[in-house]
Amino acid sequence: MATMTTQGPVAAPVPGTGGGLMRRLSVVTGVVVGVVLAFVGWLVSNALLPSPQEGNHKTDAVTLITLICWAIGFLVGVGAFVGPFRWLLGRDLSHEDEEFLAGKDEGVWRYFRFTTDHKVVGMQYLVTTMALFAVGGTLAMLIRTNLARPNSEIVGPLAYNELVGLHGIIMIIATIIMVSGPFGNFILPIMIGARDMAFPRLNALSYWLLFAAVPVLLSAFFLGGIPTGWSAYAPLSDQAPPGMDAFLVTIVIFGVSTALAGANITTTAVRMRARGMTWNRTPIFVFGVVTSVALGLIAFPMFMVAMVGLAMDRSLGANFYVASGGGNPWLYSNLFWLMGHPEVYVILLPAIIALLEITPVFTRKPLFSFNGAVLGIGGIVGLSLFVWAHHMYMAGWAPPLNAPFMVTTELISIPTGLLFLVLLGTLWRGPVWMRLPVMAVYALLWNFTIGGITGIYLSDVPVDQAMHGSMFVTAHFHYTLMGAGLTGALGALAYWFPKMTGRMLNERWGGIGFWTAQLGFNVTFLGMFAVGLAGQPRRVSDPAAMFATGNLVSTIGAYVIGIGMLIFLYAVLHSWRHGELAPANPWGAKTLEWQVPTPVPLENFTVLPVVTSDFYGYSENGSREAHPAAEPALTPAGVAGGGGSGALPPETAAPTGEGRD
Amino acid sequence: MRMLIGASATVLGGVVAVGVVGTSLAHSAPPPRQLRASVQGVASTPEGSLPHAFLTLQTWPDSMAGPHGKDGGAQPGWVTYGPTTNLSVPAHSLVTVTIQQYDTGEKITNPYFAQVHGTVGNTMTVDGKTVNAVDPAHIGHTFTLHSLVTNQDPLFVSVPLPAVADDAPALANGYPKPHTVTFSFITKGPGNYVFQCEYPCGDGYYAKFGGPMSTQTYMEGTVTVTGTAATAAAAGE
Ligand code: HEM
Ligand SMILES: [Cu+2]
Ligand SMILES: [Cu+2]
Repeated sequence: MATMTTQGPVAAPVPGTGGGLMRRLSVVTGVVVGVVLAFVGWLVSNALLPSPQEGNHKTDAVTLITLICWAIGFLVGVGAFVGPFRWLLGRDLSHEDEEFLAGKDEGVWRYFRFTTDHKVVGMQYLVTTMALFAVGGTLAMLIRTNLARPNSEIVGPLAYNELVGLHGIIMIIATIIMVSGPFGNFILPIMIGARDMAFPRLNALSYWLLFAAVPVLLSAFFLGGIPTGWSAYAPLSDQAPPGMDAFLVTIVIFGVSTALAGANITTTAVRMRARGMTWNRTPIFVFGVVTSVALGLIAFPMFMVAMVGLAMDRSLGANFYVASGGGNPWLYSNLFWLMGHPEVYVILLPAIIALLEITPVFTRKPLFSFNGAVLGIGGIVGLSLFVWAHHMYMAGWAPPLNAPFMVTTELISIPTGLLFLVLLGTLWRGPVWMRLPVMAVYALLWNFTIGGITGIYLSDVPVDQAMHGSMFVTAHFHYTLMGAGLTGALGALAYWFPKMTGRMLNERWGGIGFWTAQLGFNVTFLGMFAVGLAGQPRRVSDPAAMFATGNLVSTIGAYVIGIGMLIFLYAVLHSWRHGELAPANPWGAKTLEWQVPTPVPLENFTVLPVVTSDFYGYSENGSREAHPAAEPALTPAGVAGGGGSGALPPETAAPTGEGRD
Repeated sequence: MRMLIGASATVLGGVVAVGVVGTSLAHSAPPPRQLRASVQGVASTPEGSLPHAFLTLQTWPDSMAGPHGKDGGAQPGWVTYGPTTNLSVPAHSLVTVTIQQYDTGEKITNPYFAQVHGTVGNTMTVDGKTVNAVDPAHIGHTFTLHSLVTNQDPLFVSVPLPAVADDAPALANGYPKPHTVTFSFITKGPGNYVFQCEYPCGDGYYAKFGGPMSTQTYMEGTVTVTGTAATAAAAGE
């Protein structure tokens, strides 16, 4: 390993002296400092702010200050500012410090620290995403339980509204990070032949910001919830209880986190690809993640700005969105949907494109039209910025713009269809190697057809006049977000699980869980289409008796989803601990992440690879290459052979230990 | 086999988690206090001589005067029925309801609900005048009582509550002079019913049907028809 760093004044401190404090920081100190600072913030703001009267909003101000103090305290305590602080003192981090930060020789504790290794960050994201889905899923079950019978009043109507809002935002956050977080961090740098992210410390910061935001969001449960739904439309959100303050602080923290992650991943993919990896030799998954996070980089600041305005409305009476004070609620809806529509592609792109990455591996064919896929992605990204007002047809804002927005919205189905065609073309004339990751491809093709086509209906102004605000809309977006997005992410998990955990995912139980959930999913949301068409409004806790049958069907379906997901979860957890040990390249795939050993060494590559062809050349010499010999029973043609690599291992050895930020 | 047990245990764990969160949520909000109709004598009705019970309700433009306490509770700005939305009336009785309607209003989406349905004689009185419908362009709320999908006796009663003029002056209590609407209906056997407003008054919610419109203790509530013609008045007050 390297002995010299190429950057900074090297003070060469002895480990344990320089940065001794740094070595004691972890999530535990983070929580302690966070709670203490939050308490101080609460005390001070309570004492200093004028008591409530007309025109000031003390409760909201105190809540905001307390929650922000928590976040800052937590980040200080977890060690997020050690680097900048040391730099200010003129004692930059030594090489040993950097290695400590990267989690070298630290065992499992590195997962609970401000660790810069992209693989650790990826695992942290994976576990966090799974936890968020568990919470959001529990809330979904309660929503559906309440809707099982008309006027059941299981949770009571106020609690119902809060459940819907919290379920919505928790799921949205989870789906935004579900691919770019775990796989964008763990897999992408290896896939492009890099040793780490461009900015490893920012990478850790983006994760711990997310971590800090989670308790803030959950605190909304105890502060009156988010009874406005996750869209937090003004002026409702101006009037909502302090749970709304928790919501907006969450969004601001999450916005910073995604901005950092977005800049980091984009820089990494643009600047740090292996030698020879030109753009048309770059795996398609990289395009999916980069366009997703880059789109987020444009979209999420809108939401942050909207939330800062809301915070000022609520705590200072700024009246941005309050019509009686000269503000305009349409300003809010525009900012919200300027984020909201691109966001659905932030969610969808990496999930679908993960499946585009997977399919060639299991069909042993090149991707059907790589350029078509890239074009499709580009078209979606471009158009997605110009469709937001299709959410506002019925809001009364700028009616002459309805028709143009209808056109842009319907146009976007063309590049989306193109991605679909690439997927179908790659599957065409199989033979497909039927393993768990490909199951997601089949499920997605079905679900996304329904989700996509109902979306075209809704984009039509006259149809939306009738459908707007109904359960039909809810069913539509669940078909896209869950049927396509989450399904794609599950496929990605099944595919990269062996590389990330070193063990094979139990396909039998994983498959049972997966298909149970898919079955339940279609029952649930086809039922929801039915009640939506019949006129059931969304976000209403006590639907009329005429919708009873459809709602009961949906609820039964939801429980089937729940059971399926839990079985899948168990398969994941069990395989993680006890699964069969995975070979380095169980699928015989050609991309670089499968060419490094499992578990992946700290610096990924001993020598940086040089790329001489693309990664999809499975049938270059006319005959299809066989599937890896490791699984002979499952190979279609029974031909043995090894999965080759598109990358020629070491040609020029790049100097090791070169500057890591 | 071990996988089967493990997977089942995980599913069971999930069910328990949903159950625990659900029950704790359900208990976090105490049920609204109940208003029981007071029986005063007997009345002769088209169905013979029946016990006569009385109820008085209000519809408020906000929650400061309803069941949510002086500060208006969690949603001070929401329209609400008062004094509570948990009602109980005796079975096989004539029930006379008086509603003081304090809110302004506009045109109702569905003019069906501007008519009177299911009351004795299909009429009601508005400030003393007997009518069977009101102007659909000036409705504040409706009181619409209906059955759930059960096999109990069907019951459907719906009366429109006319709007107070926008420029009506406020009285000492901060609200304008209300319209007083009175109507009677006959209950059948015991059962659980719900009532709500069918005028979309949930401002700010989709199609104005969410929020207070679908929230018990605001524009929605329950009516329990009890087995015996109890005489107690306003229990739990
Ligand atoms: C077990 C699976 C799920 C079930 C049964 C379920 C059910 C529901 C129901 C019944 C609603 C309320 C609809 C309404 O009244 O408007 C809802 C809202 C929502 N769900 Fe799900 N959901 C599930 C999973 C997901 C997933 C995976 C996502 C991922 C993004 C998601 C995102 C949302 C959003 C954004 C809302 C809107 C919340 C709002 O109106 O503010 N859900 N869900
Ligand atoms: Cu959209
Ligand atoms: Cu009403």
